[in-house]
Amino acid sequence: MIWLVFIVFLLALVLRFPIAFALGLACLVYIIGENIPLIIIPMKMFSGIDVFVLLSIPGFILAGNLMNHGGLTAKIITFCNHLLGHIRGGLSLANIGASMLFAGISGTAVSDTASIGSVLIPAMKKEGYDEGFSCAVTASSSTVGPIIPPSVPMIIAATLSGLSVGKLFLAGAFPGFLLGVGLMLVAYFISVKRNYPKHAKNTLKQIGTSLIDTFWALLMTIIILFGIIGGVFTPTEASIIAVLYAFIIGRYVYKNLSFKKVQIIVLDSMKTSASLMVLVGFANLFGWILITERMPQYISNEILDFSTNKYVVLLLINLLLIFVGTFMETVAALLILFPILLKVAITVGVDPIHFAVIAVLNLIIGLTTPPVGVCLFVASSIGKTSITKVSKAALPFLFVSLFVLILVTLIPQLSLFLPELFAE
Amino acid sequence: MIKKVIGKFLKYGTLISTFGLIASVALQIYARFFMSNTPAWTEEASRLFFIYTISFASGLALKDNYFVYLDVFFERLKPSIQDKILLFIHLVIFVLFGLMFYHAVLFVKLGLPEKSASMGTSMSLTFFCMVIMSATMAYYSFLALLKRLK
Repeated sequence: MIWLVFIVFLLALVLRFPIAFALGLACLVYIIGENIPLIIIPMKMFSGIDVFVLLSIPGFILAGNLMNHGGLTAKIITFCNHLLGHIRGGLSLANIGASMLFAGISGTAVSDTASIGSVLIPAMKKEGYDEGFSCAVTASSSTVGPIIPPSVPMIIAATLSGLSVGKLFLAGAFPGFLLGVGLMLVAYFISVKRNYPKHAKNTLKQIGTSLIDTFWALLMTIIILFGIIGGVFTPTEASIIAVLYAFIIGRYVYKNLSFKKVQIIVLDSMKTSASLMVLVGFANLFGWILITERMPQYISNEILDFSTNKYVVLLLINLLLIFVGTFMETVAALLILFPILLKVAITVGVDPIHFAVIAVLNLIIGLTTPPVGVCLFVASSIGKTSITKVSKAALPFLFVSLFVLILVTLIPQLSLFLPELFAE
Repeated sequence: MIKKVIGKFLKYGTLISTFGLIASVALQIYARFFMSNTPAWTEEASRLFFIYTISFASGLALKDNYFVYLDVFFERLKPSIQDKILLFIHLVIFVLFGLMFYHAVLFVKLGLPEKSASMGTSMSLTFFCMVIMSATMAYYSFLALLKRLK
């Protein structure tokens, strides 16, 4: 019966069912087939959503949107351009730098691609950068968003595993930074090779002024991160502090938020959150079915029968997650696979926090992996360029992302040193 | 007319419950720092507002196409086949949430004798969010189905 569930799920995915409903349909087939009372559907959906830490997801999404519409994106880009614009290919470096700073606010890659891409892709094209390269830089750099805190996938991973959100946020920070620096190096070498333009060097005063402009945004990240780590706020409280802060800054400091605009932003953010939460609800039901059918044990035994070597198991898991991440949305893939694979990883001695970083990094790399990388599609539609051209230009960035993944997989301390440092 | 009323109901339901969520969490933080006792009900209230926010917004999310899907294979099909598949998808969503609606009502009945731990309200009030979610999802999938049939 369980194999029929998988077949229905995959078939529904191929037929363009929204992932949440593909899961729902697969669960319905199982429930009817096994004669289980259908009341299990609302019950399991409810228990999947009614989790306190999940409250932080709409909070962070709303805070990111408020900051974005409040005019922050433009200020971050200006600051990065002032800081890095004088280097060869400066605008592409500013693009990656802005993504790294914006990551501290949004927590999702697609919103990063859309907001930064809409400003920087046309600007890069205007300065003579190849359009495929402009889109590829934007798409690739936006993947640092879901790993640098606050991170929606990390909150989901914490909910699924019972790990501390604060520790997971900290664990993702350095790998995210490493990924950003790696992408910058690739962009720089390509820019030197193609002789892309550089701007005149800015004065310290200009850099200082734009830093002050961006200061409010950076302060938000600091408040969120240190509030959670310092035990001052729970992640949910931190997300609401971020919302109130973003509203005050957007309305009274940057003066870009009218009440009407806020209403539209709230509705948009909540619709995004609802689409994620319906997915979480159905994934809870799906997870219950998998446990009933003892699938985690089955998959775990199959992998461990193949090898009990920690690195071979991690290699297998990485390959599986990259493959799945190519086709499936990050949160959906995490909800379905993370609890099963975590069990396997723990059995071979992988630290659960380290594993969460590996899993999230794998899945976000999938966002720029052809042929289905969502960020590639968003960037190509903003840049009005063919997806093939963008995919081809994204390959060097993809290789460096995979290299960072290998480093993070092989060296647990890259993820664990910050949580350990703060735990002390 | 009904379409407009339902749309407005969900829109204001989403906005009010979001502001309720923000207010209850903000009160929780304020109370911890500035009051001698933190009210015990704020965590439960914020969870209640949260699930209602999600329930009100899920129908709107379906209507406005916020759910993520995979269209790489679908795009390669003929438009006439695509139309049929979309019709089938809306039909399945309608059946799924129609069934869920009926059982969500039973779920609400189960909650009638139970009281929430700190607020003291009936759990059926909390479980009622599943009725709103399933009813609005079924409603908007039905509208999409009708639109496709026309």
